Amino acid sequence: MTNVSLIKDVELFLDDKPSVFALRNEAKRAFLNAKIPSKKNEIWKYSNVKEILESDFDVLANDEEECRCGCCSHHSDENFLNIVFCKGRLHIEEYNLPKGVNVISLAEVLYDGEYKKYIHKTYDLEKNFFASLNGVYLEQGVCFVVDEKIKEPIIIRYRNNDANNLMMNVHNLFLMNKNSKIEVVEEFLSSNDNKYFMNVVNEFLIKEGASFNHYKVQKESFNAYHIALNSIKIEKNAEYKQYYLSNGAKISRNETLVNLDNDDARAEVFSMYKAKKGCLIDITTNVNHNVSNTHSNQYAKAVLEEDSGAVFQGKVYIAKDAVKSEGNQLHKALYLGDAELNCKPELEIYADDVKCSHGATSGEVDKEQLFYLTSRGIAKEDAFNMLINAHLEEIASLVPNEDIRYKFFSSLL
Amino acid sequence: MVHLLEIKNLYASVGDKEIIKGLNLTINEGEVHAIMGPNGAGKSSLSYVLSGKEGYVVTSGEILFKGKNLLDMSVEERAREGLFLSLQYPTEIPGVVVSNFLKHSLNAIRKYNNEEELDTLSFMKLLRKEAETLGINQEMLKRFVNVGFSGGEKKRFETLQMALLKPSFAILDEIDSGLDIDALKTVSEGVNALRNEKNAFLVITHYQRLLSYIVPDVIHIFADGKIIKTGDKNLALELEKNGYASFLKEK
Repeated sequence: MTNVSLIKDVELFLDDKPSVFALRNEAKRAFLNAKIPSKKNEIWKYSNVKEILESDFDVLANDEEECRCGCCSHHSDENFLNIVFCKGRLHIEEYNLPKGVNVISLAEVLYDGEYKKYIHKTYDLEKNFFASLNGVYLEQGVCFVVDEKIKEPIIIRYRNNDANNLMMNVHNLFLMNKNSKIEVVEEFLSSNDNKYFMNVVNEFLIKEGASFNHYKVQKESFNAYHIALNSIKIEKNAEYKQYYLSNGAKISRNETLVNLDNDDARAEVFSMYKAKKGCLIDITTNVNHNVSNTHSNQYAKAVLEEDSGAVFQGKVYIAKDAVKSEGNQLHKALYLGDAELNCKPELEIYADDVKCSHGATSGEVDKEQLFYLTSRGIAKEDAFNMLINAHLEEIASLVPNEDIRYKFFSSLL
Repeated sequence: MVHLLEIKNLYASVGDKEIIKGLNLTINEGEVHAIMGPNGAGKSSLSYVLSGKEGYVVTSGEILFKGKNLLDMSVEERAREGLFLSLQYPTEIPGVVVSNFLKHSLNAIRKYNNEEELDTLSFMKLLRKEAETLGINQEMLKRFVNVGFSGGEKKRFETLQMALLKPSFAILDEIDSGLDIDALKTVSEGVNALRNEKNAFLVITHYQRLLSYIVPDVIHIFADGKIIKTGDKNLALELEKNGYASFLKEK
């Protein structure tokens, strides 16, 4: 197997523009040098993605069909301002956005140049196999530029019902200017059994005093593959919070890379997931406390069905000068049968005077709780499901926005 | 008199340990029976055997509930038939909200009895009314089941469940434990309000005190897995005066 098989010869938008071509080419070079995910590769040791690499996916070229699904209104969620991707392609339309936030397509960014300098700046391409692959096809995505505190949440909906054997690469930029604030929901949906590969890269630059709430719901087809890298750089007094729900896809990996770059920068990553039979869910989170007085927290709750697999791994790195920092990691799992969980929380600490913790618990559905519910007439199976959801709902109940919280609760089912 | 519950020569075990050793008991509609006995006599075990808890195995004998074989029924079927166990230590269930739990419960029972299930609106109306009658704060209905409840709140919540589900036979396992005198009064009044000539109660307690609030028709003294003496409410007073030891000797 070589990396080359994932590179298709398709024509992309602005291939003839040297600066854009150079960006893609840089990614291509990195991709061809990147280590192929395998057991021998530490960061991929527990997640076998061989079947993704061996699939022969199609890639939509720029000149191929505009979306013909008769969108976008029936893809919209009326509770939110909507941005829609169909089969990985952005629907361009006039967004009725509130003052203080601007959303432009990645194509426009590539064409115009002003924000192009932020692409691929938050991570090392060569160390990120799928992000560099994403860079080879750099074309689809959106760029948020936020200047003020935005009250209305914005939802990005990735509708993949019509995606069949497609590899879709989406690259988004979130540029948070000083003291700005926004809530963004990413929702990945497909209601059939199609096989496809969704490969997403999100880059966040969060400037002083700014705040980003990132909600992500992944409910893809059980034959789909979902790989995402969220790479975040956080400045002074700024914060990033992620609430992630995974309840789909055959293989999914949500990787979060956080760099806490200035005093009192904060990041929290909350995850809740249900691994179904035959599925693998990977949550990888790396947090770098690069300076003193920075804070991070990771809390994940999992439900593992019979014959499912899950990986919870990540590192909290505390640099030599990052004193008075705090980093916590916790994972709690509920087993519904024989399942494989690889839980590897790591702390790498080079500073004194820090507060760090990591922990993992696992168990089965509590028999006393089950008895209590059934002794009130509730069918055993229903009681069982209530308890499973209760386990995950602890995380969902942390979601501050009520409409989004409701979305999370209903996506757990 | 209509027999509601008939226990005939019952033997039961938990693991290798025999806990019920030849129990006979008949409870009729409209009656309140009390079971008193020393610690470790098997009183709580009896309540678990009746409600069908996993691990409590009947080795011989039979139990008829409304003439049907109770031992053939699952835990939830027993509840749907009208059996209710108020637990000594109600279980905490983080993540499950009180109102949601009770809606599932009531509708499961209604469905079983061919009654129409309640929609959220009419259910909440009913629940609020019942809660108000028992002096239960509406805030409690939004909390997780028993999580962070005080001893009194837990027992009041058990009583609320009874008021809502209207069981024909309720076992109250030490409903007085962990209650101060005011809470004991409220809970007892709640229970008394539910008494009618069609239902029955089995009150399990250590102390006579409870029985002056919930006055039983029959009192049984339970020791070593069976009933060793049966009498009227005066038996409790005698017990309070002389202790269990005197009865155990008689045996």
